[in-house]
Amino acid sequence: MASSLSYLPPQPTVTRPLHRCYSQFSTLPSWRMLISAQDLTFPYQTLISSSPLPPGRFRLPLQVKCNAQTLVSSDISQGTPVRPTNVLVVGATGTLGRQIVRKALDEGYDVRCLVRPRPAPADFLRDWGAIVVNGDLSKPETIPATLVGVHTIIDCATGRPEEPIRKVDWEGKVALIQCAKAMGIQKYVFYSIHNCDKHPEVPLMEIKYFTEKFLQDSGLNHIIIRLCGFMQGLIGQYAVPILEEKSVWGTDAPTRIAYMDTQDIARLTLIAMRNEKVDQKLLTFAGPRAWTTQEVITLCERLAGQDANVTTVPVSVLKLTRQLTRLFQWTNDVADRLAFSEVLSSDIVFSAPMNDTYSLIGVDSKDIITLEKYLQDYFTNILKKLKDLKAQSKQTDIYF
Amino acid sequence: MVLHGGRIAAAASSNVLFTRTRFLGLSPANTNNFTSTSRCFSLSVPISKLSDGDGGEKGKRGGKIGAKKQNKEAKKEDVPSPKEAVDLVAEGSGSKQVSLSLDDVNPVGLGRRSRQIFDQVWKKFSGLGQLSTTSTDEDLLDSVLIRGPMCEFTIPEAQDTTVLVVGATSRIGRILVRKLMLRGYKVKALVRKADSEVIDMLPRSVNIVLGDVGEPSTLKTAIEGCNKIIYCATARSLITADLYRVDYRGVYNVTKAFQAYGWEVRQGTYFQDVLAAKYDGGMDAKLEFIETGEAVFSGYVFTRGGYVELSKRLSLPLGSTLDRYDGLLLSIGGNGRSFIVILESGPLADTSQSKLYFARMSTKVGFCRVRIPFSSFRPVKPDDPPLDPFLVHTFTIRFEPRRQRPPEGPTGMTQDPRSFKLILEYIKALPTGRETDFILVSCTGSGIESSRKDQVLKAKKAGEDSLRRSGLGYTIIRPGPLQEEPGGQRALIFDQGNRISQGISCADVADICVKALHDSTARNKSFDVCYEYVAEEGNELYELVAHLPDKANNYLTPALAVLEKNT
Repeated sequence: MASSLSYLPPQPTVTRPLHRCYSQFSTLPSWRMLISAQDLTFPYQTLISSSPLPPGRFRLPLQVKCNAQTLVSSDISQGTPVRPTNVLVVGATGTLGRQIVRKALDEGYDVRCLVRPRPAPADFLRDWGAIVVNGDLSKPETIPATLVGVHTIIDCATGRPEEPIRKVDWEGKVALIQCAKAMGIQKYVFYSIHNCDKHPEVPLMEIKYFTEKFLQDSGLNHIIIRLCGFMQGLIGQYAVPILEEKSVWGTDAPTRIAYMDTQDIARLTLIAMRNEKVDQKLLTFAGPRAWTTQEVITLCERLAGQDANVTTVPVSVLKLTRQLTRLFQWTNDVADRLAFSEVLSSDIVFSAPMNDTYSLIGVDSKDIITLEKYLQDYFTNILKKLKDLKAQSKQTDIYF
Repeated sequence: MVLHGGRIAAAASSNVLFTRTRFLGLSPANTNNFTSTSRCFSLSVPISKLSDGDGGEKGKRGGKIGAKKQNKEAKKEDVPSPKEAVDLVAEGSGSKQVSLSLDDVNPVGLGRRSRQIFDQVWKKFSGLGQLSTTSTDEDLLDSVLIRGPMCEFTIPEAQDTTVLVVGATSRIGRILVRKLMLRGYKVKALVRKADSEVIDMLPRSVNIVLGDVGEPSTLKTAIEGCNKIIYCATARSLITADLYRVDYRGVYNVTKAFQAYGWEVRQGTYFQDVLAAKYDGGMDAKLEFIETGEAVFSGYVFTRGGYVELSKRLSLPLGSTLDRYDGLLLSIGGNGRSFIVILESGPLADTSQSKLYFARMSTKVGFCRVRIPFSSFRPVKPDDPPLDPFLVHTFTIRFEPRRQRPPEGPTGMTQDPRSFKLILEYIKALPTGRETDFILVSCTGSGIESSRKDQVLKAKKAGEDSLRRSGLGYTIIRPGPLQEEPGGQRALIFDQGNRISQGISCADVADICVKALHDSTARNKSFDVCYEYVAEEGNELYELVAHLPDKANNYLTPALAVLEKNT
């Protein structure tokens, strides 16, 4: 595989404060610690720049150089040609991944799914007709075998909230991209986060940004798609608690996020994949309209026909919690997960204009479902289902 | 509110130890700490419920949701809000008097419950700080979002339908099986060998049945339980015998098996005895019943221009009328003659006003089944309105020697064209189905090398004809040369004229099959389909029906609506 790899910073060289801590070198950035413990063969240099620092803070900027050009000759002309309908989906059990698997299967692709070995595996993928292969992004040695005979990789994997994200999202992705390059994968579709370049203080966004850069430098034929938010997540976060009359937690943040249906994202991705004009491009998929959490809650209340028990947590509290959890080593991951609150506190619209994107891939914007329609469908169906259940169970104490 | 928030933050930061599963060693030691914090929780909140109250609320939810929640881990225990904490300590003066069990004061139990509450609260809290959350309430969401009505693949009729896919290992068949599984159909696949390669190729929940379309006996188990059949098998080689076996006899066998199994012939009318036999001008004809119970109508017409008729008043069972049916199915053995079926319709009371409608039917040497849809009946007098099956009261078969076409029989048999013999096994009325029962994927032959093309086309055509004659609701799809591309990207053209030249992807053909399963416009139609051909200027030879794929992709109905039925 790659013999010499070092990190190149995005031009121009910027130094990023990786980890604010109140002590000196004793707590190095955990990212660096993890990297140094790994066996991945890339030398790196850490420079501590002497940029003027505000008093009282100590910044440990990590200047990493990343050179993704591999020295392995990708001469695969002797191999058997791979059918362009062979797709590998990484993260196939996730919210977005399963929709991609379904849509690809429906359109006639041969789909291979990379899942982690589990005692009780997710069988729905096999039921649909996809081939399931075992592998783990945090164990790079398991990756090459899964890439044999694959034409396109669709990468919708990310670390679960309870796992440290750097292992999967950075090292795992780097390994996957290197492996793909070495094995001659002909297209790599990567999902990133909108505005990831503007929020370096959020670790996940920073990692996504660096991964984008790595992918672009690697020379693979790729498509990068930046996403804003999923409508499916709103169901679990707001719609279900409202229906069950539990408390709904929302922030008072003014940030507006554009949510999009994962089925639409899957459909657009597959259309974009087939379009040669989209190669090497960076697209952003944002939903039709950007919503704040308060608006979403109001919409859910209206559609459910009942008032929600709303607990509003001020964003300042989130930030405070985040600061506190960063005090301790073992709560760093928690702090990372809360990092998005930094984004929430700045008044931004987390959306992007989609007209150019739609015209580029040839899609009608009317085909993209709106949040109102989506939630309306959901509530109609779930209320109908609950009524059916009530009729079946003959219980009279289900209240709506 | 802010006060509570602050408290939560304080509690969060100091109790974050306990949620880290890595640090399990710490938790028991600090239970006391925790309990004290939980006490401070409960002091500041009104005490209104006990742990029993939680159970009560679960019962209140009732139904499946409650059961689901109880099945889940503690994560989803019902915690309405942080305000209503579990009062674990008897000291607080509660507004409700409830009895305490030992569990309530057991410190381990207290610790566990507190941890559960805390996990709940913390999960919600940290969820605020994330962009998109992964949901753990999989069952309910799944049933609505993934497999339920919110999913764009779900078809409501799919739950009750079992589809038999013949040729599930073919290129189209594989994609077809996957699409059916995605939409929730139950699929049975007929394969010749159930070896590991085949089993790997098909999704797991497909019911694999061993059998061969050339052997009718093996088809019986395959057909059991199926409502619909999709036949996409084709001969793997170009040997004539193979073609004959798969494309012609195979279709025939499967249709026979399907009819024998479950195609209910509702309210057939049978000829019991002859009431009237009209003669006209010198002939000798008789109708007799032979031992097997069949009616034999035979005779000899002496004069030219004469004809023999056999007619019967229909005595339908009470309450059924022919308008619920699509046509007639006759199982007859003629000797190659053609006959005319005449229906007389009109008000029963006044026979003089009846109108006559006729349809020609030709028979082969030997037995065959002939289906005559009501739509093919023409009025004898051209001004009459089209046949209204509701008013039909008399059924007549007529033999006219004058209009005989040369019989299709083995050559060398010279028969007197004026003699006829018709053995009637039964006459049934064809039920009108709204949907098609049998989808056959045939071919146009444009992709095959010309040396074998005739043979292939002949076999395919024979298969198609046998399907049309069988009386089942059919849809015959004839795609252009198949390509291995993902489907859904290009516009498709539907035509009925043998004019197409472009290819089409296997996935699109599979898509058409799936959509045609429940489409009433697809019933009894056969058509060609291929990609849209962008013609150069001045070269447009044909106007075909094309439709671009859009999101809803209901292209089949409008496309097929303009095509002719029963072709």
